[in-house]
Amino acid sequence: MDAQTKVSRKKVPTYCYQCVNGPDLLMVEVVNGVATTVTPNFNVKGDHPAEGKVCVKPYGLIQKLYNPNRLLKPMKRTNPEKGRDQDPGWQEISWDEALDTVAARLKAIRDKGLVDENGDPRFAFTTGGAGTPMFYAGTMGAFLGAWGPIDMSLGAGGTVKCYHSEHVFGELWHRAFTVLPDTPRCEYVLSFGNNIDASGGVTSVFRQANARARGWKRIQFEPHLSVTGAKASEWIPIRTKTDSAVLFALIHVLLHEHRTDELDVPFLKQRTASPYLLAPNGYYLRDAATRKPLLWDLKSNRAVPFDTPGTDPALEGTRLIEHAIEIGADDEQWEHRGIQAHTAHDQLKHHVAKFTPEWAGPISDVPAATIRRIANEFLKAAKIGATHTVKGRVLPLRPVAVMLGKSINNGWGAYECVWARTIMQVLVGALEVPGGMLGSASTIVGPDWDRWASVRAGEDGFMELPFCPTDRAHWVNERGMRHASSMLTPMVGNGFYGPLLGSSTLTWMRLQGRAAGSWSKPKPPDVWFVYKCNPSISFSETSRLGETIAQFPFMVGFAYTLDETNHFADLLLPEAMDLESDQLIRLGGTNYLEQQWEAEGWVLRQKVVEPQGEARDFSWICTELARRTGMLEQYNAVINAGGCGIPLKTPAYDFALKENEPHHPDEIWDAVCKAASADLTAGKDVCDLDWFKEHGFKLRPFSSLRWYLYPIIEDLGLRFELPYQERVFRTGKQLGNRLHETGVDWWEKQLQEYESMPEWKDLNQLWDTLLEKNYPVKAGDFPFWLLGARSMQYAWGGNVGIQMIREVAGNVAGHDGILINAGKARELGIEENDWVEIKSPVGVAHGKARLRQGIRPDVVVMIGQFGHWKTPYAKDFKTPSLNDLVPMHPDFLDGSGSSVDATKVSVHRVEVTA
Amino acid sequence: MTRYVMIADLNRCVGCQTCTAACKHTNATPPGVQWRKVLDVEIGDYPDVSRFFMPVGCQHCADPPCMHVCPSTATGQRDDGIVTIDYDLCIGCSYCAVACPYQARYKVDKPTYAYGETPMKNEVERFDERRLGVAQKCTFCSDRVDAGLEQGLKPGVDPDATPACVNSCIANALHFGDLEDEKSNVSELLAGNTWFQMHAELGTEPGFYYLWNKEP
Repeated sequence: MDAQTKVSRKKVPTYCYQCVNGPDLLMVEVVNGVATTVTPNFNVKGDHPAEGKVCVKPYGLIQKLYNPNRLLKPMKRTNPEKGRDQDPGWQEISWDEALDTVAARLKAIRDKGLVDENGDPRFAFTTGGAGTPMFYAGTMGAFLGAWGPIDMSLGAGGTVKCYHSEHVFGELWHRAFTVLPDTPRCEYVLSFGNNIDASGGVTSVFRQANARARGWKRIQFEPHLSVTGAKASEWIPIRTKTDSAVLFALIHVLLHEHRTDELDVPFLKQRTASPYLLAPNGYYLRDAATRKPLLWDLKSNRAVPFDTPGTDPALEGTRLIEHAIEIGADDEQWEHRGIQAHTAHDQLKHHVAKFTPEWAGPISDVPAATIRRIANEFLKAAKIGATHTVKGRVLPLRPVAVMLGKSINNGWGAYECVWARTIMQVLVGALEVPGGMLGSASTIVGPDWDRWASVRAGEDGFMELPFCPTDRAHWVNERGMRHASSMLTPMVGNGFYGPLLGSSTLTWMRLQGRAAGSWSKPKPPDVWFVYKCNPSISFSETSRLGETIAQFPFMVGFAYTLDETNHFADLLLPEAMDLESDQLIRLGGTNYLEQQWEAEGWVLRQKVVEPQGEARDFSWICTELARRTGMLEQYNAVINAGGCGIPLKTPAYDFALKENEPHHPDEIWDAVCKAASADLTAGKDVCDLDWFKEHGFKLRPFSSLRWYLYPIIEDLGLRFELPYQERVFRTGKQLGNRLHETGVDWWEKQLQEYESMPEWKDLNQLWDTLLEKNYPVKAGDFPFWLLGARSMQYAWGGNVGIQMIREVAGNVAGHDGILINAGKARELGIEENDWVEIKSPVGVAHGKARLRQGIRPDVVVMIGQFGHWKTPYAKDFKTPSLNDLVPMHPDFLDGSGSSVDATKVSVHRVEVTA
Repeated sequence: MTRYVMIADLNRCVGCQTCTAACKHTNATPPGVQWRKVLDVEIGDYPDVSRFFMPVGCQHCADPPCMHVCPSTATGQRDDGIVTIDYDLCIGCSYCAVACPYQARYKVDKPTYAYGETPMKNEVERFDERRLGVAQKCTFCSDRVDAGLEQGLKPGVDPDATPACVNSCIANALHFGDLEDEKSNVSELLAGNTWFQMHAELGTEPGFYYLWNKEP
């Protein structure tokens, strides 16, 4: 630039939440009114767990902002025919026309009734990115809150295709919607396909790099050598979907090849249900008077309720119990006299007796000696007896953790894995203590930034976590949403997040008329909002899903560019993107994976530059929709009540908005900024929107003691609900009763998974069986597993159309093709850059072969999610996605309603170039 | 004397390309030009395979082959070791690009943009005509280093005096500093770790060191 030219230059603080590991704080340089450069925000260096750094994705924001392929005016469809091969005939319209059109549709629903004749909500809202779009959606939460029943079950892939079992069971056992090692203190990690260095965001990468530098050991069990495997001390190319065999064998070694006193006996006795006595029908043996579970007290030599003070619980041994009761499902109750009873710990030992390393070796391709060595290393590394002081409190130090990856955490076998890995932690006392395995976010019960806040005493000595009721008196025989999460998957709970954990796969299959046979086929929603997601790329059997979407009567796409989902929309509304609008959100505490802070507070996303074209701030869109739909007062009332993350009026402060008039987004966020800062500082330092625009964030200390649940569990005298799953078992029985009473006979396999201790399943055999049962194929024709792998550059980012992201991602192997073992490829006559055809029983994809050594010969890998056919720029990649090949079928749904994000396939070289 | 060098700790690097992106931002390089990038490398045969990530770019050699072949004296070397290109002198012959053993140099002859023929606003704002038809490569962000020094800041320690790739690294794998200062971060890292230089056998004495717990 000419040196004589006057240059205006400023740096603007904001945040990036383009993945679940956010927010990360950044600065955007604006030169002459043009956003040019992204840098870390080093002003937060002292507080941020990764010194204020940001990952590669926010560097794509500048191109995301100025991308010429953006939609910058509202558009309506003029061709009523919908289909992939149909030209929607987009026609530009004014915002007034667009908003009035939507409002008319919404008002029609309010006039007709919010639910249809099937009881399903007429209005549906779908977002993706594991919920992260809500950190861009401004006041959308308030609009949804003001509306009434909304169907959130038309998923884009999140939860059911994500860490579903970890979310559901992790939250139950230790408030761990997501699980992490206590990385700064951990010394030994077993990672089963956990690709943390690609999926864990800045804080994970930063902390784990530090852990490597100080010499921790991480063993990576994974069929291919992922980014994370590359950084491991040892890569073990385990056979796909056999992780539970190795985990069960590891437990076997701990329990059958070591003395009990080598384990963390005090932890097992006092902090778990290991000493609880079991009754003949599979439930706890209970005291007849108090109905509390019994344990055997070695001091008094008798069975006593679990919470009897001063006991020394027996961990092992069978005892004669003179009189006790057993409470089963519904009205079942048994009285037992003179029975022999053993402990949950003994049951666990018995459960894994047959799972020797020699058994697991041939199944998993992991030598028995390796399994045994690792189990022994794990036990030794746990340093049982060691302590660590946190903020003056002496806690156990158990520096070992078992981590699981995405395709291990969903579908059949996931329950086994999450249970077994948590048992590993429990046996050495390494759950929720320094060095061990922790949870970070609590989402089902929340609040998600402070797990202690939701820890309350529940029944039987465990933390409270309310399932959706399954008992006869309280079961609600209403689907609520099209996936009926509260009816079919009670463990997800009835909180805000519960429906998002329900089986969205079931919703899509029901809409396609191929699931839940005794229920009528649901109608599509009258109005469907799709926000920051692309389900016809990101779900399963995506081509078929597109055909389903094409049947919907009225779809509104909040659109960034044209894409594969909004191709079927009726109306496209261009919203202001990341750098063009304001929103204040919480920061710090503990949040998703390794966002572990010693501070908490609030951070502002702000309008770095004015919106391009006619893109509009999402909060403005929501306010206008509320106004035009006649919901303004309800909408403002929800905002005042906390719809933007914090109440605007409490006994301590009052920044409430007038409820009978519309408010500019600046006005709304100004009030939120004041309320948040007032709350944070007990009213001492009220900061307005302008203050946040200048400083970006505001923090106060957050004690690292709250990273660990152990202290509060100990203070409340609670136990972790392990190893025995009596509540899960009872819930399954009751759910079965309820479903059978109402004629539902198609959820039987799923009901079988409500086990007190999960049985091992041969998943390779199960897949072969299910494929042959449900499709006209021979399982042997699909000898490869097709797996996905996380792309840090793309995951959750909504940035597939960004040139710079494509360019830099290209440096990481596999982003432009299909990874295949080099030796196997040559056996098949496939050379580097050859086109290959990957076929599953439900789909076919083509891509260029990328020959690698770090991958099993019976596996192929497709990174990320591509396969675009409409998104500008991305449609020219010719990079395939596994999603269209992954079958949706009720048989593949596990007890929690999720299915694995992988499939069996065939691989052939083909002579194609397109 | 000062000798600025960069260190990449291969035990830390996860190949995320944040440095690649940060470099592209700071230096406004056009599509396909990556003064800094990270290679994804495999060694061995299945199942005995290692995979590692290796940041590469101009090595700012003490004895730079690119400089020796430059017919126009456009490629030079500062007293602090940074290898420079004077765009006004460069005639675009590309001898340097051929001579560089590290494939660190690029030449772009016409304006190229992310999305076709029309530049985006940020590309208009950042466009630098002087870079057309001449050699270009990593500068160790010498403009940032110099601006930082003017403010009394310390390169490699203070972000405003440090190359953008180093600032951006989310694994703290990249480090920058003065090798001649035995108490600098880079001197201490080299003293306390095993390391290698790329193609050290060529005698170019790269100003780029790789920390590595074994020979690659």
